[in-house]
Amino acid sequence: MSNPAFNDAVHDEAEELLPWYATGQLNPADRGAVERHLASCARCQRQLAFERQLIEQVRALDVAVDSGWARLRARIVRPPRSASTLARATRGFWDILRRPGVAAIATAQVVLLLVAAAILVPMSQPSYQALGSSGAPATANIIVIFRPGSTEQDIRELLRASDASVVGGPTAANAYLLHVRPERRPAALAALQSADIIQLAQPVDDARS
Amino acid sequence: MNLRGTASRTPAGGMRPGGADERELLNRVGARDLDAFERLYRLYQPRLARFLINLVRRPQLVEEVLNDTMMVVWQTAGKFRGTSKPSTWIFAIAYRKAQKAKARWPDPVEAKGEDRRASAEPEPDEQLRHSRLHDALITAMNGLSADHRAVVDLTYFHGMGYREIAEVLDCPVNTVKTRMFHARRRLRAAMIGSLPDWL
Repeated sequence: MSNPAFNDAVHDEAEELLPWYATGQLNPADRGAVERHLASCARCQRQLAFERQLIEQVRALDVAVDSGWARLRARIVRPPRSASTLARATRGFWDILRRPGVAAIATAQVVLLLVAAAILVPMSQPSYQALGSSGAPATANIIVIFRPGSTEQDIRELLRASDASVVGGPTAANAYLLHVRPERRPAALAALQSADIIQLAQPVDDARS
Repeated sequence: MNLRGTASRTPAGGMRPGGADERELLNRVGARDLDAFERLYRLYQPRLARFLINLVRRPQLVEEVLNDTMMVVWQTAGKFRGTSKPSTWIFAIAYRKAQKAKARWPDPVEAKGEDRRASAEPEPDEQLRHSRLHDALITAMNGLSADHRAVVDLTYFHGMGYREIAEVLDCPVNTVKTRMFHARRRLRAAMIGSLPDWL
């Protein structure tokens, strides 16, 4: 009779050693243990295949050039409109409004806009609330795969803790698309990636549900 | 400064010299043989440069730390007793020097630990030039801590075993395994996530 706890321990240990098995840097005892486990573990066999691709990719990286470029690029490419530029734009708008002559016209137009908004905004609200239409945008910015056997309660608690909502899926690869507020995405990703029930959590951009 | 090494294809390319050759070189360095030291320097410069850029993230610091490391090697090679591989001994010196340099020059990029690409606008032109996989991997590597990056690179690029890495980084063996496990999860996710047909 097999002991599931023992098998889990063997699996975890073999999985941890896969990188050094793939690079041929294990001693004979470790290598033998990994090979015995590999013979019967499809998951570790898949991981090993992936491991070999990863090794190839990491070896091909030119760290100095690539990391230097990543830093330089980050200095050039900024989010489209940062809080500070928005603040500057807002200040500019008020400067124009304060000019003599503009102020009187602007005040009248602002009053008119406020009145129009008071009428139109309630009209634009739906008169009913569909189940699940919590107002979350349909743009997914995280993709996740839950581990097989994860319970609905586990998933619900994790999504709540990560401020994430499901906006799509399951995809053909059994992945789900999530949305979190953009400023929360790094923290949400960290929370998701460290959760036991998550097999994969990865940022995605411009993914529509 | 050239950070690309001509002799840096250690595990796959078989360009890493044998331990016996390096021991012989170190013995000669210990006897104040400057020619032997130059050979050792040329052998290790590219490997240490790659190792150090992962740790200190400031190219201008790499040469300084690298030469400080090799200065220690020059001064103390006579005391090398051969209980570990020469590479382990030299990389461990480099790691300690890098830690001191980092204390003086904290890394502003690493402190953020973020996903910079997430906030950047997509750039079709750039994506034509670079594969999504490559970009995703670079982003994921940059998102790792220096110690996680070091474990990844020492394993995959420098071809070290986990015990050797533990010796270089002066940490328990289990810490090396755990760091590698988490780093792989991030890198693997980056690789999978970059596949265009994933959705």
